Amino acid sequence: MNSGRRDAGAPDLRRLFARPEFSSLLILVLMVALTAILQSNFFETKSINRNINAFAPLVLMTMGQAVVILAGGIDLSVGPALSLLTCVLTFVMKRSDPSSGMAALAIGLAVALLLGLINGIGIGYLRIPPVIATFATSFIWLGVALFLRPTPGGESVDWFSAFYNFGDVPGASPAVKAIGTVLPPALLLVLVGCAFWFAISKTRTGRHIYAVGGNSDSAYNSGIDTAKVQTLACMINSVFIFLAALFFVGQTGSGDARMGDPFTLRAIAAAVVGGIALSGGRGNVYFALIGALILSLVNKIIFFANIPYAYQTLVGGAIVIVAIASSRANTMYNKRIKTRESIPG
Amino acid sequence: MSILEVSRIAKNFGGVAALSDGNLVCREGRITGLLGANGSGKSTISKIIAGVYRADSGEIRYRNAIARYRNPNEAKKDGIAMVYQNLSLVADLKVWQNIVLGDEAKKGPILDNRSARRLAAGLVERLLPGLDVERMTYDLTPGEMQIVEIAKALAADPKLLILDEPTSALEKAEVLSLFAFMRSLTEKGVAIIFTSHRLWEVIEICDDLTIFRNGRNVGSMDFDHDEKDTEKIVGYITGEAQKGNYRKACAEICGETLLSVKGLDYAPFLRDISFDLRKGEILGIGGLAGQGQRELMLALAGNYPGVSCEAAIDGRKLELTKPAKLIRENILLVPGDRELEGLFVKHSVFDNLVFPRMGLRGQSLFTPLDRYAKECEQIIDVLAIKASGLDVPVRTLSGGNQQKVVVGKWFPYKINVLLLADPAKGVDIGAKRDLYEYIVGRVRGEGMSVVLYASDIEELVEYCDRILIMYEGRVVAALEGDDINEDKIITTSMRVGQPARERAI
Repeated sequence: MNSGRRDAGAPDLRRLFARPEFSSLLILVLMVALTAILQSNFFETKSINRNINAFAPLVLMTMGQAVVILAGGIDLSVGPALSLLTCVLTFVMKRSDPSSGMAALAIGLAVALLLGLINGIGIGYLRIPPVIATFATSFIWLGVALFLRPTPGGESVDWFSAFYNFGDVPGASPAVKAIGTVLPPALLLVLVGCAFWFAISKTRTGRHIYAVGGNSDSAYNSGIDTAKVQTLACMINSVFIFLAALFFVGQTGSGDARMGDPFTLRAIAAAVVGGIALSGGRGNVYFALIGALILSLVNKIIFFANIPYAYQTLVGGAIVIVAIASSRANTMYNKRIKTRESIPG
Repeated sequence: MSILEVSRIAKNFGGVAALSDGNLVCREGRITGLLGANGSGKSTISKIIAGVYRADSGEIRYRNAIARYRNPNEAKKDGIAMVYQNLSLVADLKVWQNIVLGDEAKKGPILDNRSARRLAAGLVERLLPGLDVERMTYDLTPGEMQIVEIAKALAADPKLLILDEPTSALEKAEVLSLFAFMRSLTEKGVAIIFTSHRLWEVIEICDDLTIFRNGRNVGSMDFDHDEKDTEKIVGYITGEAQKGNYRKACAEICGETLLSVKGLDYAPFLRDISFDLRKGEILGIGGLAGQGQRELMLALAGNYPGVSCEAAIDGRKLELTKPAKLIRENILLVPGDRELEGLFVKHSVFDNLVFPRMGLRGQSLFTPLDRYAKECEQIIDVLAIKASGLDVPVRTLSGGNQQKVVVGKWFPYKINVLLLADPAKGVDIGAKRDLYEYIVGRVRGEGMSVVLYASDIEELVEYCDRILIMYEGRVVAALEGDDINEDKIITTSMRVGQPARERAI
């Protein structure tokens, strides 16, 4: 029943354009088209798989970041947290003992959740501004990671490479190898992440993340434990970081205390490109995924467009600004529609 | 039988008594009205019952047990729900999500959205048929939001419902449908406390009435036995009617028009406001709290770039788009919230007094501190600001002295129009008198004009030559001469005598 709507009928198209997700979807389509033109074999299985592997970590990191931002926070420690987890995983694993891989999974997840818990306590219970709290913890994560692994290295059990490519696992049957050529595990990791968020979004916690990010006073007055919700959001983020860490250890078989650093700001930028409002409470985690794809495609386009190396970073930054600005312009357009409607008479 | 008995409640806020002796009885299935002027204590007693504040002394018996709630949640669990004046909705959630927020139905760990939607839609259907619960809350009008807020309180199935001015944002039809719904609740035995400034609403819907004045209940009526006598109710609200307060007619003391404002519009707060301010006139802005007075002062000071208005000063066109433009015309604002809008509280008295000069044109490159320091001492002297020195942070001063600093920072200026937004709020009587004496002195002495908004009616009566009464963003009356007395201001503010059925548009 649409009787409450003021503009039933024709302006429905306008409503569609006004949705914040719409611009990100449009940009993604443009990006894919542009990349396909520049890279002739873009749609071949092999190159799709390669792209999935290249994009998946940022996608996972962005989805996690999006959850924290939705809850009204921000996490500047995700990069070092990713590094730390690769160090922890390779620290626990001994190549000679395949069962140590299972121990690494359990310990890695536990450490990931602990990192989120610490951030959450800082933000939610101690009421430290999220930027400061997570900026501080990012150095602690880095410090611990450097302590565990002063230089990149370490070892992992053989079957861990299944997180990168099923076919790479020693002794894999030809059938498994065949699956490996068409189904990259990175895709499965992303799907696990999506399924995880889907489940969370069906619980009270999922709803309350939006409420706390949207207006924490109102949420508190409605009887919501805002500190708990913010802490849970940080721990949900941990799960996504953990999934990304599995991919990296599967790929390289080693840990590196500095490898995650570039992901922190890229994940935030990708979330914004995907329509997550930095003010919290507004946006969609699946569209954050699209933001990550857009940002990744930007890099590819720059690479294939033969832009001189010296200008690549500059052009990349400019494109990110355009992408963010277009989503902002969309929000503003939205607001204008709203004010125009709310003026009575 | 009575569900709630509140007796001898007292509550102080930082030494100011909001309630000195509050008593209230509510009965099952009846609507109890609370009436009183601004600051009479009716909101305070509501919030104490709902667990927002704790009483300093006194007793609350709820359902034959002594109630001592530490927070609104405990009261809510006990069946007491309150609809607040300032809303508690999350704009980015849908209507139904807001209605069940914090108490969502679940099946195991999974949200049961179907039953939540059904609950929300059922409540909304009875309150405001036609409101789609799937709409985003930020899309709603203020009136619709108010209805959603009420629905949210009802979702908890309360036994005692407190409605604190629920109708101020509602239109007539919405008010009537809310009343019908309140009746259906009372038929199920729910007790309701209803606060409103609109007299006709209280008379129409309430079964009992308790009137507050100066922190105590001064009268109560039971409409089963008592007549619905408007005169008598207003008498309770205002206390002793003060009449025959002689004033000079404005034309005698005031000069020609200085500032003229035509068709000032700032939707939705201000609608089509026009007035002329004469030289040497103190123009009061009155009315119930929150009818747009604050916004009018800010608009006149150039705080709303989006305002539409034809204004002129001394016959020259005036744009109300930037504070700097108005300061250059010597139209100066003493804002209502001094800590947020008027002062740099962590900085020294000196910094605060000197700061506005920095924005003037033609400043010397290096600030002549010595000269300024002398000027400041003069200001402190004239206004009798009690500060231990120029270098102490303003924060350490008492409220009254802080307010003097806000006024004092404009002292070196030639003032054409001084805009005073509730300048004596939270200021003790002595400081208040000092402040007004200084202002009145400058008005009489140099022909400065003043627009004064005061929440305290006494201040308006004492100092104003003319008073504009605002109601829902419009100027609804202008009082002059003999009409300037408390009784008249209150009755005009509440629109007593206005045809009840037509108003509330």
